[in-house]
Amino acid sequence: MVWLVLLFVVPLVIMLSLSLKTCNPASGACTMTWNWGEIPHQVNLYRTEFFTSLEYGAAATLVDLVLSFPIAYWIAFYGGRKKNFFLMMLLVPFFVSFVIRTLVWEFILSPSGFFLTFLRHAHLVNANFHVLGTGSAVIAGLAYNYLPFTALPLYVALERIDRRVLEAAYDLYASRREAFMRVILPLAVPGIFAAFLLTFIPAFGDYVNQQILGGTSSTMIGTVIQNTFLVTGDYAAGSALSVVVLVISLLGIWLYSRVLGSRSIEEYL
Amino acid sequence: MSDSTNNDVTGGGIDPALWRGLTQPRLSRRQALGVAGGGLAAGLFLDAAAASGASLPNAKVGTPSWWKKQKLHHTVNFANWPLYIDTLKGKYPSLDHFTKTTDIKVNYFQVIDDNTSFYAKIRPSLAAGQYTGYDIVVMTNNNPPLGYLIELGWLIPLDHSMMTNFNKYAGPLVKNPSWDRGNKYTMAWQSGWTSVAYNSKQVKDPGDSVKILFDKKYAGRIGMLSDPFELGSVGLLALGIEPATSTESDWAKAAKLLQKQKSDGLVAAYYDQSYIQHLKNGDVWVSQAYSGDIYQANLSNKYKDLVLMIPKEGLMMWTDNMCIPLYAQNPKDAMTLMDYYYSPVTQSVVEYYNDYICPVPSARQQLLHPTSWNKEALASLKPEIGLPYTATANSPLVFPSGREQKLTKTYYQFKDQAEINAWTSLFLPIIQGA
Repeated sequence: MVWLVLLFVVPLVIMLSLSLKTCNPASGACTMTWNWGEIPHQVNLYRTEFFTSLEYGAAATLVDLVLSFPIAYWIAFYGGRKKNFFLMMLLVPFFVSFVIRTLVWEFILSPSGFFLTFLRHAHLVNANFHVLGTGSAVIAGLAYNYLPFTALPLYVALERIDRRVLEAAYDLYASRREAFMRVILPLAVPGIFAAFLLTFIPAFGDYVNQQILGGTSSTMIGTVIQNTFLVTGDYAAGSALSVVVLVISLLGIWLYSRVLGSRSIEEYL
Repeated sequence: MSDSTNNDVTGGGIDPALWRGLTQPRLSRRQALGVAGGGLAAGLFLDAAAASGASLPNAKVGTPSWWKKQKLHHTVNFANWPLYIDTLKGKYPSLDHFTKTTDIKVNYFQVIDDNTSFYAKIRPSLAAGQYTGYDIVVMTNNNPPLGYLIELGWLIPLDHSMMTNFNKYAGPLVKNPSWDRGNKYTMAWQSGWTSVAYNSKQVKDPGDSVKILFDKKYAGRIGMLSDPFELGSVGLLALGIEPATSTESDWAKAAKLLQKQKSDGLVAAYYDQSYIQHLKNGDVWVSQAYSGDIYQANLSNKYKDLVLMIPKEGLMMWTDNMCIPLYAQNPKDAMTLMDYYYSPVTQSVVEYYNDYICPVPSARQQLLHPTSWNKEALASLKPEIGLPYTATANSPLVFPSGREQKLTKTYYQFKDQAEINAWTSLFLPIIQGA
């Protein structure tokens, strides 16, 4: 409890209070001006970037759900005694630093990289085709980097499905498809939702993928916040934007607990 | 940020509200980028105390009598940018020589990789009246923090009696610069140009103008820098406007040009240092570029095709400046070190490794004909660098000739925070999208 207050509540209160202050970019001195207008003002200013982030975050999460469901399903149902090994294999690439992994994707997707060079030589794409610098590259990067955050909660959800329930379904003449649609999927819903939150929230605020893989018109809100702190040094505006990002994330979690109960999220973390 | 500006602001007693009044009407949609929407009052360039005429924190510091009281402590803490000093197998020959001859131990920290974020790190100490941990820091003149340090009185005025080498050997480009008249607070460490570089394999007809960055032929293959001060300056050059004497309406024109460049799909991306990798890879054909990067890329046979253009509109010259932050514990040791780097002998060693614009033109003779300890130091660096000394000595990027010196332009010198905000609110939105 003490840790929760110290590590979460205190920083959040500081951030919120900073967003209400007016700061001097030179001396860094901030005075409390109860400037509630800053938050709507910043939202208004960066509406496009918020929507881009929502769009990319949602797209990446969707890609991850589609990709990792079969993986998680296969490991949970057919992994046998090697389950832990397969899970390990899923995680191995993620021992490498986040930034390095993204830089490697930049290398792979670069127009002069081997992948596109190959496609060009095979005449599958025209000479001007490029991936780097587009929204799709950012979504791909996000999807790659947050894949384990989707796969693991899904795995946990599928793994804990009582096999006897499945057997009962088959005994009652359910086809494989019906068993999947009416037994497995409904039982996996809390896992899907947990996976969605765990992937979407960090992807929404991500600022690395966009900077490395994105181009000129795909700025995400995370990049804006970073620039506000590091380029313009305006801590009040940066805090205001961070508060908004936080509120959006909290809304998601609140929705989850309302729909599926607050206990189930803890089970998947 | 000269002395006279300082007087204008403090002595002239301009009411902060006046600035607000002058600047408010032309606030753009993005004005609040720099300053919170609540108003500029607290966001002004100077603290209220300074503006009301109260003395700056360094008022009694750095005077001749103050300097007379300082003693050598035989240690100095030096914060610099990475890969910016002669390095051999984890050691720094020029610093080692300094320690050997002066008995001053140097703790060298390569901790600065960005002006604003480094400033944010030392600012809390300075605001609290405490030692930052560094006796020398190196800040660039084309970014606001150096101006902030000067205006807020957070630098110790230099002891000019200890600047014998500087007075004798400093070159015209770094002596009495526009950002620090009379070198009251700073001595240049190194300078560099921001210009245009292209890949000669892909760009056959480069010409000699920065307008190449706006050429539709290279749509999607053009790299621009994500630093708003670099971006804005090249926009001004393209319009034939002198950045140093430009006005806010000029900035707006430049922003319009750069916005169009982006919406026409000419720009591949806005890069930090990473533009050089994209030039090397060949996915960017022409880009805004720093002179030192291109020089170093050319050292490898693989990247001989990268060419730094000397555009007829001019070369933007930035300078990294050594300065002594207030409350430094070893100011006299710091002065000794700073002046030591103005010896042509020392500079010859630094430059053989660094390849930026040398603040000491006569270091060239020392590179061609070393006469002192640098003979040994240069010889030990040679296998590592693998180039004859003449390569560095004859490079116009290190020792600029008269022509390049004439083309050298300086950045706009912001007079107050409102101007900085006006600039960033014009150029940052271009970089950030939308």
